[in-house]
Amino acid sequence: MDLDFSPAERDFRAEVRDWLRAHVPRPLPPMDTAEGFAAHRAWEALLAGARLSVVSWPERYGGRGASLIDWLIFEEEYWAAGAPARVTQNGIFLLGPSLMEFGTPEQRDRWLPRMARGDDVWAQAWSEPEAGSDLAALTSRAEPAPGGRRLYGHKTWSSRAAHATHGFGLFRTFGTRHHGLTYVMFPMDDVVVRPLAQLDGLPGFAELHFDGVFAPESMVLGEPGDGWRIAMATTSSERGLTLRSPGRFLATADRLVALARDADPALADRAARCWIDAEAYRLHTYATARRLMAGEQAGPRASMGKVFWSELDLRMHALAMDLLGDRAGDTAWLDGFLFALAGPVYAGTNEIQRTIIAERVLGLPRAGVRR
Amino acid sequence: MNFGFTGDQLALGATVRDVLRAHCPPSELRTERRPAWKQLAGLGFFGLLLPADSGGLGLSPADVLPALEETGRACLPGPVVETAVLAPYLVASLPGLASGTVCVSVLPPGQAYAADADLADLLVVARAGGWHLVRKESVRLAPRPGVDPCRPLFEVDFEVSEELAGSVESALLAVTVATAAQLIGVARELLAVTVAYARARTQFGAAIGSFQAVKHRLADVAVAVEFAAPLVHRAALSAGGPAGAPRPSAERDVSAAKAAAGEAAGLAARAALQVHGAIGYTEELDLRFWLARAWSLSAAYGTAAAHRARLRTAVLGGGPGRYP
Repeated sequence: MDLDFSPAERDFRAEVRDWLRAHVPRPLPPMDTAEGFAAHRAWEALLAGARLSVVSWPERYGGRGASLIDWLIFEEEYWAAGAPARVTQNGIFLLGPSLMEFGTPEQRDRWLPRMARGDDVWAQAWSEPEAGSDLAALTSRAEPAPGGRRLYGHKTWSSRAAHATHGFGLFRTFGTRHHGLTYVMFPMDDVVVRPLAQLDGLPGFAELHFDGVFAPESMVLGEPGDGWRIAMATTSSERGLTLRSPGRFLATADRLVALARDADPALADRAARCWIDAEAYRLHTYATARRLMAGEQAGPRASMGKVFWSELDLRMHALAMDLLGDRAGDTAWLDGFLFALAGPVYAGTNEIQRTIIAERVLGLPRAGVRR
Repeated sequence: MNFGFTGDQLALGATVRDVLRAHCPPSELRTERRPAWKQLAGLGFFGLLLPADSGGLGLSPADVLPALEETGRACLPGPVVETAVLAPYLVASLPGLASGTVCVSVLPPGQAYAADADLADLLVVARAGGWHLVRKESVRLAPRPGVDPCRPLFEVDFEVSEELAGSVESALLAVTVATAAQLIGVARELLAVTVAYARARTQFGAAIGSFQAVKHRLADVAVAVEFAAPLVHRAALSAGGPAGAPRPSAERDVSAAKAAAGEAAGLAARAALQVHGAIGYTEELDLRFWLARAWSLSAAYGTAAAHRARLRTAVLGGGPGRYP
């Protein structure tokens, strides 16, 4: 039991590092502009050409069949190299794992390689105006139609939807609450998209209006009505390892400590704390990866990681704002700060996560249970 | 890369846990200075890190980490880490060390007082840049007030001592990691006891643990402990055993571990006190021993802020990077 990398892991790291050194572009325009979206897609294609876009996926889908540890190594190198944010993230980290687990062989063959190359870019369509943290309150419908489903309703806060080619989400087929929801993939062509400007002024998410959008039966994932279970598997991976690997926070923390090099002791102390926390997240993730590779489930402990990384990310960027004052906008730290502010909200608010931790990890009683 | 404890390491921890449950119950903390020491000695606990030619098992700090965590969980009093962890690095040949018949106290650099010095047969004292071994009969001790009733502090004075040759850095790193491991154990016990109380205590007709304000506070403690523990494990791997050398990153890793473990235990203590309410603020409730241990060990071998300052120096000073 140790923290030493094997020779094969070291070789892999060296290959990734060398490739990134030769190929990482100058900072691209923001991915939520049309120009930036195209540039980020082109970058994804370049990554895929080197079989580096989804290293942990099987080879037939464009990956290398690499271990979780190798994937973590890739991520460390990726963010340390200052490589672009992943415009394909909703697909490769959220839908991809669900397809792998619940999709038919035909669905996997059809969608995963295109996802890995950035040919298709996926938006997620879960939240609704009246179904945020209480996702099971959603009312959008997937109604049976010849050859597939017709979708009706209103989704919102749909990340990447302004430019995405496809979407995936939960729609009600029958029943109430968690029962009778169907996991549907759909082309964006007939969806009415109203982009929503985020705090940075760019349309990072959008409202989606469905008025009979057709999704063929081949784009239903799993059994109709079984969508909640499939979606929870996705959120578990979202909260767990795949959405936010340690690499991005390690890179941020290293830049932060350098930024605070000559800062006053109180600010420097905050920087050191961030460095430690980023390393803690890394070590914790290595330990988690070992358990997952041994066949264990992430379970409710994944919520601890989500709280930890999102608050770390915000703490780091808030410190950078304090260090830079009115010069923050001259740097990438300002955009990073605005992005970090969303972390405690998306992928299940941190309040929801804390309740999950308290009830399902610690065993505290649910609210309203009288003794 | 295979980061986790082995079955043997966990089994040793479980054995120590069983012994401490039987022989170091909270009632003993009120009457005994060294409860369960005899039983631990019987297990060979004090020889775990000693080399074979000193009657030990030659294990490493990482091997004994779960066991050390258990000594924190049980709030085991006495100079445990000084005798079981520091001494094997500095005075391995001290007769009676492996059998647990002697014990050692330390006055580390930067600290004013030595904990449990009245129990010690041998004191290791940092003074004026050098290190001294002081025998029991040569030392004059004056008790000083402290936060932890089971870890009394003493001002140390002496005229006769033996200069300690060689490096003490490895020993200090190891005893600091061991203290961090105890802090993790203290924090885990504080959390467990407080969760149990929050499930049992009712107000407004409901268990207080069903209230979101209480839940979220305890969830924050769980998160802090969950993420401090792997830092301590890594630091133990970096510190190296008495026979080996620390890794180049050891000082940085140990400082990260001690800072995070101290903060986690402090947070656990604060939440435990708040959730228990007034009963937690009493001398009568056993909780007080764990609160005090969280505070006393957080200060021992360097405060969190001091360790973060050291870490910053190590990171900015061009030490080993994060990645190979």
